[in-house]
Amino acid sequence: MRKFFSNPAVRETLRVIIAVSIALALGFLVTLFVSEDPFGAYKAFLLGPLSKFNRFGDWIEESITLILVGLSVAIAFRANMFSMGTEGQLLLGALVSGSIALFVPLPTILRIPLAIAAAMAAGFIWGWIPGYLKAHLDANEIVSTLMLNAIALKMYDYFLIFHIKAPDAGYNASDFFPVEGSLPSFIPNIPIFERAYALFSDKTNITIMVYVLIIAVIAAYYLIYRTPFGYKLRMVGANIKFARYGGIDTKKTMILVFAISGIFGGLAGAHLSMAIHTKLIANISVGMGFEGIVVAILAKINPLLIPITGLAYGYLRAGANVMERSSDMSREMIFVIQALIILFVTAERFLPTIQKRVEERKENNSHAEKIAPSDGGSHEV
Amino acid sequence: MALLVDMRNIVKVYSNGVVANNGVNFQIEKGEIHAIVGENGAGKTTLMKILYGLEQPTSGEIFIKGEKVEFKNPINAMKKGVGMVHQNFMQVPSFTVAENIVLGNEPTEHLFLDKKKSIEITEELSRRYGLFVEPAAVTETINVGMRQRIEILKILYLGVEILILDEPTAVLTPQETKDLFEAVRVLVEQGKTIIFITHKLREVKEISDRVTVMRNGKIMGTMQTSEATRGGLARMMVGREVFLDIKKTKMKRGNKKMVVKDLSYVSDTGRTMLRDVSFNLYSGEILGVAGVEGNGQTELVEVLTGLRIPAAGQATVGGGVVTGKTPREVRMAGVAHIPEDRLTNGLAVSASIDDNLIVDRFFNPPFRKGVTIDYEEIEKNGEEMIKEFGILTPNGQLPVSSLSGGNMQKVVVAREFSSEPKILVAAQPTRGIDVGATEFIREQLVQKRTDGAAILLISADLAEVMSLSDRIITMFEGEITGVFPDASTIEEDELGYYMLGIKRQSKKEMEALL
Repeated sequence: MRKFFSNPAVRETLRVIIAVSIALALGFLVTLFVSEDPFGAYKAFLLGPLSKFNRFGDWIEESITLILVGLSVAIAFRANMFSMGTEGQLLLGALVSGSIALFVPLPTILRIPLAIAAAMAAGFIWGWIPGYLKAHLDANEIVSTLMLNAIALKMYDYFLIFHIKAPDAGYNASDFFPVEGSLPSFIPNIPIFERAYALFSDKTNITIMVYVLIIAVIAAYYLIYRTPFGYKLRMVGANIKFARYGGIDTKKTMILVFAISGIFGGLAGAHLSMAIHTKLIANISVGMGFEGIVVAILAKINPLLIPITGLAYGYLRAGANVMERSSDMSREMIFVIQALIILFVTAERFLPTIQKRVEERKENNSHAEKIAPSDGGSHEV
Repeated sequence: MALLVDMRNIVKVYSNGVVANNGVNFQIEKGEIHAIVGENGAGKTTLMKILYGLEQPTSGEIFIKGEKVEFKNPINAMKKGVGMVHQNFMQVPSFTVAENIVLGNEPTEHLFLDKKKSIEITEELSRRYGLFVEPAAVTETINVGMRQRIEILKILYLGVEILILDEPTAVLTPQETKDLFEAVRVLVEQGKTIIFITHKLREVKEISDRVTVMRNGKIMGTMQTSEATRGGLARMMVGREVFLDIKKTKMKRGNKKMVVKDLSYVSDTGRTMLRDVSFNLYSGEILGVAGVEGNGQTELVEVLTGLRIPAAGQATVGGGVVTGKTPREVRMAGVAHIPEDRLTNGLAVSASIDDNLIVDRFFNPPFRKGVTIDYEEIEKNGEEMIKEFGILTPNGQLPVSSLSGGNMQKVVVAREFSSEPKILVAAQPTRGIDVGATEFIREQLVQKRTDGAAILLISADLAEVMSLSDRIITMFEGEITGVFPDASTIEEDELGYYMLGIKRQSKKEMEALL
């Protein structure tokens, strides 16, 4: 039994479970104070995403975005590059893929791959820029990516308002994408899946992006851990001076890291425009790119854990949405609860520290009890 | 004699299961200079951290002047008169010397720091203990020796009686070391007691009254220094016979491998760090560079290995220019490089040992297979190297940070030696590592040289330069001041004059010998 608990993976899982439980309990405490019907509200929060089929769909769709932006952030962070640029890459990915979905007169089979590829390319370029600025001009990546985010946002708005939306529309949004430009459901429309197809395509926007996502996760993992480029990326991240000393072209690596990170940001944009909204709207992303930081850090920057943390964080957000809609809890309080959970889970030393204190106290007590010539097992070592 | 410190049956098990101290009994008498020696990871530093309150023992008792004490933190320990001078100085660089010394217990005047008073305090301390400092100088502008004296004065100001010095000479030049030892003797005359952690057996003989040897968390013995021999101490530390003096075959000098011509380097701040450096490096020889640190050696090494671009001049290997090229191109030309600071350049400590061993070759077969890299091969390579170079680790997938300093250096050496270099630039190859690893690395260097490699050896340890090199050049302020074609016939003092620029050979004299 002792051995089971000393396994690091088991300890870590336990730690997360305990941390989430404590945070949820605190969250409930908050709910108790501000809600007339705390049990109902909290139930909506905890079980909401599973309570209705369309809510389940919202959860999965949101999680796909979160996982993609998480991968984007993870690739940059793994190389110790603090790119904040995912948000801008995502916006341009949405803009480019949306424009192709709307205006390029190609059949579905060509239009969709073209739109997705274009979103990836947009992200690549928008990542390449801060990479180049850092590598050759020593521009701080946090500042440059934030500035580029602002530029991307205004470009998005400009094209949407002045070129894309119908001139007589009273709101800033494009028309819905035509069928040729919308992503098909992840369940193929063939007779044996008929009922499932009807159910999912009617109630949810879960599209073939699911498969793209699976490929993206595996690709990110292989890229980082199984390719020469990934080796360079990891060495640059671990110690850039060592990488240079060892003969790695650190500048080129740096630029590529930013650019490849951008590909995943662009993909997230394509998912937002072509799967979730099927149109371009103003404020299509309110900081989704930054949520990628949370997802990546919760996963300890491990691409294989990002789907898990993305789904978990997506669940939290989806639950919060349900709570907001179906109870008297204000959005602000919901954010407080969400933040509490993230805080507890990311505070890695929180539980080990408590555990150590408890052990120390136990030890001291046992020392005091036995006036101990045997001295608590120390001679075994 | 009075027993000042009595540590009884100290056991320290770290939370990761490492047993750092295993039933240690350690006594200090009042007024002695007590050296503790042992390999990296032998438990010396842990024992001292326990005495200083930084770590708490798993079991065991500590008595100071016969009174049982339990230190929860260094402040407790200071109150009982125990202070420690760390290897890494804990000072505010922008403060003056005096401000750093009184930091934490500042004399105040109307809530503000009383600068005059703090300078007086510093001068008084400095005078009493014979530790010279300039109270008004800004700390970041003064040299390492004085910064260390600040550290000592700082704890003396707090009224400490027992001073623990953790490898104090590692950062000092020979002259500064002499000054330090002088100061230590004054401190003892004033009634202080010194515990001195070191790797250098010569220093043990020179300064200490008694010496304790540790190995594997246990004390192997304590003796009067006068009764100890360097060989005997080394044997106790390592657990087997150690050859402190390297046996070398006669040099068989081969052809010219590297030609360095009029190399100059100017730092970013505009200082000329290298001035018209020229020399030839032959296969089958070790060319030692002797000099006080900071006289251009670092720049020379980094210019030769592609990490810096020279302002003028060039170095060629087999006719091809290597200066101004990328590190990869320099490596391709057959130049390997043991960097002076393994933690800055030589290793990525958070990455695995396996990964650290392939940084110069991951893009070649067998490691590269098409677009992927083959981790089976990388692990196999790691296993072989760990075995061949005796790196102490359960496996190669662990991060380098889990290794002791000596084993970290072995990782660097394993990588650089296994690339089969024609030329090896070795900077401080044994700095800060234990006797066993030092012996191993020195043997390997000599072996490579005997096998026909050309080796440029840069070391702050003059004894190392003198014992390993076939030929020696001295550097002072970025210039070569002397060439000594036969390292075995030079006196240390004579070299010193050239290292300090007091003596100089003329260009003509040197030309034929370079």
